[in-house]
Amino acid sequence: MSFTRRDFLIGSAALAAGTTVTAPFLLPKYHSDQRPKRSRVAILHAQQYSQQLDQILAAGLRLFPIDVRGKTVVLKPNLVDYIPGNAINTHPLLVLAAAESFRRVGAKSVVVAEGPGHQRDTQMVLSQSGYEQCLRDERIRFVDLNRDELIRTPLRASYTGMKHLWLPRTVLETDFLVSMPKIKTHHWSGVTLSMKNMFGVVPGARYGWPKNILHWKGIQESILDLCATVPVHFVIADGIVAMEGNGPLNGTARPLGNIVLADDPVAADAACARLMGFEPGRIVHIRESSRFLGNSSPVTIDQVAEAVVSPATPFRVVPEFRYLHMQ
Amino acid sequence: MPTVTTDPIVLSTLLAELSLRQLPCGGWAALASSSQPAIEPTCYSALVLCSAPVGDSERAQDFLLHTQNPNGSWPVFPGDDQEGGWVTSLAVMSLFDLVPAIPARLKGLHWLVSCVGREGNWFWKWKFRTADRHVRFDPDKFGWPWFPDTVSWVVPTAFSILALNQLPCSCGGLEKVPFRVERGVEMLLDRACDGGGWNAGNGVVYGTALAPHPDDTAIALLALSDRGQHPIVQNGVQYLERLAPTLTAPWSLSWAILALAAHRQPIARLHRSLVALRDLVSIEDTSTLALVCLALDFGRTLSALGVGQ
Repeated sequence: MSFTRRDFLIGSAALAAGTTVTAPFLLPKYHSDQRPKRSRVAILHAQQYSQQLDQILAAGLRLFPIDVRGKTVVLKPNLVDYIPGNAINTHPLLVLAAAESFRRVGAKSVVVAEGPGHQRDTQMVLSQSGYEQCLRDERIRFVDLNRDELIRTPLRASYTGMKHLWLPRTVLETDFLVSMPKIKTHHWSGVTLSMKNMFGVVPGARYGWPKNILHWKGIQESILDLCATVPVHFVIADGIVAMEGNGPLNGTARPLGNIVLADDPVAADAACARLMGFEPGRIVHIRESSRFLGNSSPVTIDQVAEAVVSPATPFRVVPEFRYLHMQ
Repeated sequence: MPTVTTDPIVLSTLLAELSLRQLPCGGWAALASSSQPAIEPTCYSALVLCSAPVGDSERAQDFLLHTQNPNGSWPVFPGDDQEGGWVTSLAVMSLFDLVPAIPARLKGLHWLVSCVGREGNWFWKWKFRTADRHVRFDPDKFGWPWFPDTVSWVVPTAFSILALNQLPCSCGGLEKVPFRVERGVEMLLDRACDGGGWNAGNGVVYGTALAPHPDDTAIALLALSDRGQHPIVQNGVQYLERLAPTLTAPWSLSWAILALAAHRQPIARLHRSLVALRDLVSIEDTSTLALVCLALDFGRTLSALGVGQ
């Protein structure tokens, strides 16, 4: 068989074209592997929202080798909107307990920060949800992330194709960021846990209410880009009363009796998903983030305190997400 | 228009505070503790100060003129990406009555006319009709997005309608204004919540009716002030009348006062509630502080917005 110079050129051109077309699909979309060797998750039982959360949480934090002495701590709860009777928001007593716990272990300052995604009147949500009074009584500063100073921030992953986002200074400059989600189902993303909770740092003043650009760029993809860019140092998830069904606003309250603590948001979300009766690997952002951001496999997670027990009846979801249920 | 007397001491104290917060560049930051100027708080503050004997409204207007993007839109803050956004309509309105600003306003209005919610495109219309039907809305009725390349939402649509309605005529390349305004009005009516009022723009999602928000409702009602006889508008007014007396957040209460005044509803009690709110002068959010001033001086504000005449 003869191989001419012409054949060689055509072959080379075809190879180059093929590489150009397929490379974007083969190359990783994250800039660096940020996974810790091992992650730690603690599940704490708590049946109700009460003053005792202080002690429960303080004991839970002692299970982690974290040192926040002299550091600025930002607590980022899930505070979306207020609908009487709906378990939408991270309960303020849990946030207060977290603030008190971090102050007690030497944090230089503790700030609560959120940018509600549906309501432009942040003060109204704070007031109706019980936050305003609690924060005032405990002299905890609140920062409205929808209106904070903004810094142009290059994204450290490219799942959405966006190159940068304008993100709030308070979040970018903190030493220790704690994601405090409410454990809920979500009609667009399946679940909303510690990683989806980071949508709240995207400023409404810049991106609108709701933060529609993140929906257009893909919710799962946006979660990945955002979490790759804004490191979550710790998770305290409110699963005392969770939400199932048509979340994140109009689902049904589901008493779960758990608080989930973790030093890795991927590990936290995988544990929460199991507590909801979902297979974490079927949730796109958990599966994908376990390739570069954190650990989702029980093999690489040190489970402390209580064990993860999936419920006999999994959380109800909208029909599109029934495939999340464990078989 | 309802008549209410405002305590001059309250208003002058708030005006003095607003004036103090003006940055050397002429703009205002979103939060009192911030030094990053932003367009939204500057627009509300400029509207307040243009009729008040305090502050430097000329510097505020210069700031707005200098921050306009080359394409006619306004960024959210100086240094932002130059694609433009929803604050363009606010900037156009707050430069009202300023002769040297006429070219800038015209450029802004041209940009607004060219800015369309994504459902205005045939492909997305088709997608929303066939494959993506969990949010109930009619994609034929489109308005304005918060930012280009996203769908229409209630607040940016309402502000754009208010801005475009200030045009004395639709000529000089602005012939599409009546069409856009009419489509925007239809969009607002289509996105109303079932029980009356508006939220961001999702009346029904996954078969569940979502709750209205007082501020979104008020802003929509301002844009629909000339459609007061429409049943959907009347439902919105009734919702706001029911809810407003319970409001304790100055942002929503101020918008409610403006909207109800525009629809010629009694507001004296709401006005007293607003004045009685504690620590108005120390409100961290400067847009809210300015809005309280605008609500306390609602007659002049509505006149500047061109509604309820």
